[in-house]
Amino acid sequence: MDTELLKGTLSLLILSLLSRKPMYGYEIAATVHRDTDGAFTWREGSLYPSLHKLEADGLIVGEWEEKETGRKRRYYHVTKKGRAALKEKVQSWMELCRGVNRILEKSDGQA
Amino acid sequence: MDKLDHYLDQICRSIGGPKSLRQHVRQELREHLLDAAAEHRAAGMSEEGALDRAMADFGGPEEVRLGLEETHGHRLLPVVIDKAMQWKERTMRAKWLWVTWANLAMAVVIVLNVIWLTFANIYLVPKFQKLTRVGMIDAAILEDAGVTWMASFLEALSNAVGRYTTWLLLAAMVVCGLFEWRVRSENKSFIRLSVWGTAAVVLMVFGILTAGSLVIPYQLAAPPIGRLARPFALQQLASIDTSLAAMDQALAKKNWGAVQEQANQASQAVDKLVAAAPAIYSLTPRQGPPNLQELRAELQTANGYLAEAQQAAQEKDERRVESAVRRFRELYGPVTKTATKP
Repeated sequence: MDTELLKGTLSLLILSLLSRKPMYGYEIAATVHRDTDGAFTWREGSLYPSLHKLEADGLIVGEWEEKETGRKRRYYHVTKKGRAALKEKVQSWMELCRGVNRILEKSDGQA
Repeated sequence: MDKLDHYLDQICRSIGGPKSLRQHVRQELREHLLDAAAEHRAAGMSEEGALDRAMADFGGPEEVRLGLEETHGHRLLPVVIDKAMQWKERTMRAKWLWVTWANLAMAVVIVLNVIWLTFANIYLVPKFQKLTRVGMIDAAILEDAGVTWMASFLEALSNAVGRYTTWLLLAAMVVCGLFEWRVRSENKSFIRLSVWGTAAVVLMVFGILTAGSLVIPYQLAAPPIGRLARPFALQQLASIDTSLAAMDQALAKKNWGAVQEQANQASQAVDKLVAAAPAIYSLTPRQGPPNLQELRAELQTANGYLAEAQQAAQEKDERRVESAVRRFRELYGPVTKTATKP
């Protein structure tokens, strides 16, 4: 999939995934890979600037948790503000999809 | 793990904000990479291969760093240090170029110094010594405290250059040859450069001392020489006046040869004045016009009328001679007037 297209939707994907349950970075990346059957080819490192930006904007909150193995993970969960933003983003995404699909349907067979 | 630490350093060291933030980001990325490497190991990869793969999937450090800096800003100092290190690496690769350039620059400095010293000793020092002998540079000046060594230095240098130049050059060539032949140090290029540098400094010191020894006594002798300018100027003015008077008498007698002769003598006296700037300067008033350049221009213009008078005398044209002399006097008169002012 086009990485530029993915970049634009990354915050939507992150908020959406975190709305299911709190996750840490690697878990988010692994979930995206698993749920899309590896359709998204992206650099996993690009996830963290987006995560930190969302956190700086107050849409998600990160907290360190220490596991029994001694490993520490930073779990992110969506804030109230984040849920509202997710709702708006989903709505915008749907409208975008509908608009794009309409164009694509009308252009079907002409490409 | 060194590889992982280096990778994380590249990403995190320039991220802005407090140190604790950089530590948190670093740990978070580290945990991600360890998780990813563990998964690759579980799939059968070697430990090193798994870590390489995890880092490759994560992205280039520059790319990740830029992304994080967009969010957190960046620290200036690490950026400067990185740039300096990059510059150092680039310049180290071009080491031979810098060393060659430095050697060439030193060689040029040495050659220029040798040329200056040779020129000074062949041309300037003998002239200086002659000026001292004939009294233009007062020998008493050279006995003043702080100046006495200058004449001795010039004499010693002149003798040394005259007697030992060949031997000095031969010795230098032998030393250079032995150095290139025997020295096998890895610092050879730097040793060579330092030898060139030392030679350049020594020659430059000699060059500066020579220049100082030539210029300073002359500067000290200049005011007494300058005081001779006004008597010289007045002498030329007197000569011009005498020639003009004689020209008037010759013209009355229509002695065209004498007119030409006197016009020529007056013209020569004007030429001498025009050529001697200190003499003209001694004729200018202390305040107000004309200044040196204006007075010199007036004299040059006036001299043109003397040439015209000579030409007219040759053609025995009385009216033209009178007209030319009158015009000369119109320009020359104010000069005499200025000169007689205290």
